[in-house]
Amino acid sequence: MSSTCGTDGSGAVIRPDGHPVVALAGNPNVGKSTLFNALTGLGVSTAHYPGTTREVSTATARFGDRLIGVVDLPGSYGLGGRTEDEVIARRALIDLAPDVVVVIVDPLNLARTLYLALEVLDLGFRLVVAVNLADEARRAGVTVDTTALALRLGVPVVETVATRGIGVADAVDAAIMTAAAPLRDVSHRYDDDLEDLISPVIEAFASAECTPGGLAPRGAALALLGDVHGFGPQADAGVGAAADAVRSAMARRYGESAAIHLARERHGRAGTLADEVTVRSGSHGRAPRDLWSLTTAPMTGVPLVIAVAAAIFGFLFFIGDLLAGAFSLAWEGTASPVITAMVTTLAGEGVTSRVLLWGFDAGIEASLAIGLPYILTFYVLLGMLEDTGYLNSLAFLTDRVMHRFGLHGRAVVPLVAAAGCNVPALVAANDLPTKRERLIASTLVLFVPCSARTAVILGAVGHYVGWRPAALVVLILFAQWVGIALVLQRLLPGESRGLVMEMFPFRRPSLRRVIAKAWAQFREFLFIATPIVIVGSLVLGGLYESGWLMYLSEPLAPVVEGWLGLPAVAGLTLIVGMLRKELALQLLVALAVATSGFAGAELTALMAPAAIVVYALVNAIALPCISSVAVFARRHGLARSLVVLALSVALALVMGGVMARLLPALGMM
Amino acid sequence: MPSATLEEYLEAIYKAAERGEVRPGQLAETLGVSAPTVTATLGRLQTRGLIERPGGAVALTPTGREAALDIIRRHRLAERFLVDVLGLGWDEVHDEACILEHALTPRVQDALERFLDNPEVCPHGHPIPSKDGAIATQTGRPLAEAVSGDVVKIVRVDDEDGELLSYLASLGMFPGTGVRVCDIGPFKGPLLVEVGTARYALGRDVASKIVVAPDSGPGCLTEGTRR
Repeated sequence: MSSTCGTDGSGAVIRPDGHPVVALAGNPNVGKSTLFNALTGLGVSTAHYPGTTREVSTATARFGDRLIGVVDLPGSYGLGGRTEDEVIARRALIDLAPDVVVVIVDPLNLARTLYLALEVLDLGFRLVVAVNLADEARRAGVTVDTTALALRLGVPVVETVATRGIGVADAVDAAIMTAAAPLRDVSHRYDDDLEDLISPVIEAFASAECTPGGLAPRGAALALLGDVHGFGPQADAGVGAAADAVRSAMARRYGESAAIHLARERHGRAGTLADEVTVRSGSHGRAPRDLWSLTTAPMTGVPLVIAVAAAIFGFLFFIGDLLAGAFSLAWEGTASPVITAMVTTLAGEGVTSRVLLWGFDAGIEASLAIGLPYILTFYVLLGMLEDTGYLNSLAFLTDRVMHRFGLHGRAVVPLVAAAGCNVPALVAANDLPTKRERLIASTLVLFVPCSARTAVILGAVGHYVGWRPAALVVLILFAQWVGIALVLQRLLPGESRGLVMEMFPFRRPSLRRVIAKAWAQFREFLFIATPIVIVGSLVLGGLYESGWLMYLSEPLAPVVEGWLGLPAVAGLTLIVGMLRKELALQLLVALAVATSGFAGAELTALMAPAAIVVYALVNAIALPCISSVAVFARRHGLARSLVVLALSVALALVMGGVMARLLPALGMM
Repeated sequence: MPSATLEEYLEAIYKAAERGEVRPGQLAETLGVSAPTVTATLGRLQTRGLIERPGGAVALTPTGREAALDIIRRHRLAERFLVDVLGLGWDEVHDEACILEHALTPRVQDALERFLDNPEVCPHGHPIPSKDGAIATQTGRPLAEAVSGDVVKIVRVDDEDGELLSYLASLGMFPGTGVRVCDIGPFKGPLLVEVGTARYALGRDVASKIVVAPDSGPGCLTEGTRR
């Protein structure tokens, strides 16, 4: 291989000394991640690429006495730098320089999935092809002649059923053997005409001092010509000039650009190969449209979308709430006394121990009371929808509406989920295709009132003032949300690339896979959000127990009392509400009891009805809870979280202040 | 000869008219200017007899059409030159040609045409109008107009920066590829199409840039037999 230039070597991979590194590549939804999970299990780490929120998982796996490094590339259709996933996949390939690439293909979609395998070969990597989902294909009467494919490609081809672990060991054996084989110069050739045309670029790379990522000259040349945007930093002037000349020669010769023509040739080759090695049995021709197509036919699909959205919302709102209540009871009965006893043993019964209890009792409870009932269950729910392929049908049907907000149809899932709990919604938003959409959707999620915030609206306004004002609050929030969505779409540069989304056929969901995935995502929440919630709780507890929170109320008084027309203490509960949004109301009622001096006091003794409406509104808009801010900050950075926090406070002040004046003026209260 | 701004408008109107009735709002969007600016400029074009405003829409007069074809000819010749001779990429030539086109005199146009060996189409596949204003008729209609059950074949992708074309190419959709339309999303939503054995949802905006012609062959496959 030539020496390397043009990469920063930022990829950190676990490369056990002298052991091979295997990269897994494949189209989305061919079972690549399932294979990765089947292979690994020792400890997965992620390589975060600069400028992206996508991650590349790496892990070390043990097979008998052998260790291998495994890299899970993002699912992509090619490596031509056309989408973020393609760019990251190619960059990871080049940075991590795996010894062998296993490309997973779908026998029912062999032509298109083989395209990626040919592209990997073109780049000059050693290749193993894994024909996955072999069982499903056989049920549909399709088999792939792996021997014939291996012969034609000149690489090992294995059949796998990753969900059941079938063929995984064969794939690893083939990969280890291939990794040790010498690298071939040219793995497959295009027709002479094309080869002649591109040869000047190959020669230019061969005489250049280095190639991007140390690719072989031919691989570097095909990558450069195959990329629409030019590929990485140009190696040197000689290569650049040769590439420009070849591009225009190809455009003249074929009447289309070099990148398009290469893609066309490669697809053509993949299509021919697929036809030659696919064996169809039985008369599996055409049949009437089956049940699954009802999910995309508008007449039946739209009611189904509404039902599914209502189910997700209902599940998180009612069942999640029920589970959270049950969890809190269980916590108070079991863990809480133990933690209290431990803390009091260690720190005595003073301010210190009360502060510690804020963090380690209330804090952990707050995190788990969101985590277990809402997040874990939502992940399982979402996993089932994803596994069947339904999410794409959903996106197809809602695309038009979401477009108005600068988003794709896929964004409907996080936004609906957010009405239950913002935290899993933020994670779901991370599956959107572009960074811009992820940021818009995540920000919008934070402004959807979750069940805790809705509980405050219902518990305060609904209970003490009436259902009409409660409905009014919800209406105002919705209008505000639409406004934010429209402004964000204009504010954030760039527009969403039109929707081009593969529609997956129905696949029986595998409960094991769904639970494994849900657990992996939940673990991330647990280990990232919980420490932040504990620290945040300790700080809040320190402020509260030391009485400093009361001092804070003085500078806040002009805003809280003067502008919002709320008692100063109410302002403090709003801040404490960041820990758990419903905590704000609980504290407020406790304060009402404390100040009015008798138990069972109505909230109305402390605040006028209009003030209660303003209170619920401000609580719903300002300061999303610590857990969701933690998850947001992890994806989008601290600076953006602070902007969103500031925005939420500013909006809450504007809306609250206006309502505080408007409501009495209208004589509604 | 109209000013560079007016030329841009004529070009935009001509291209928009290829896809149907032209509304001022549409032009504001394509040209990236405000609605009042469009109204003012359309007024100027109308005064010069280059356009008509039947029922609020925008249509070129015969003189306007001639002027539009003239500027399109210069634009497409410039693109051809940038790609063929200077070796620039597809995705970058549209904006460059917008600058260059206003500087090409008839003499330079003729010389360029000879030098480029009388090209028939621009690098994006659109026909180049001849010196006397003749233009090969564009066949096909946007995929967005297709209805459920149509079987069509891609003729070209109307996409000046080449982004969409190359993304579709990575999925195996090229000019010449057959496409079967299976479903249309609600509220004029995306199209559900089949290409080979794969199914895709294509957004309206994407589908309106894919130009197709009728094709023969069987309609949509079903999922049930494939899986």
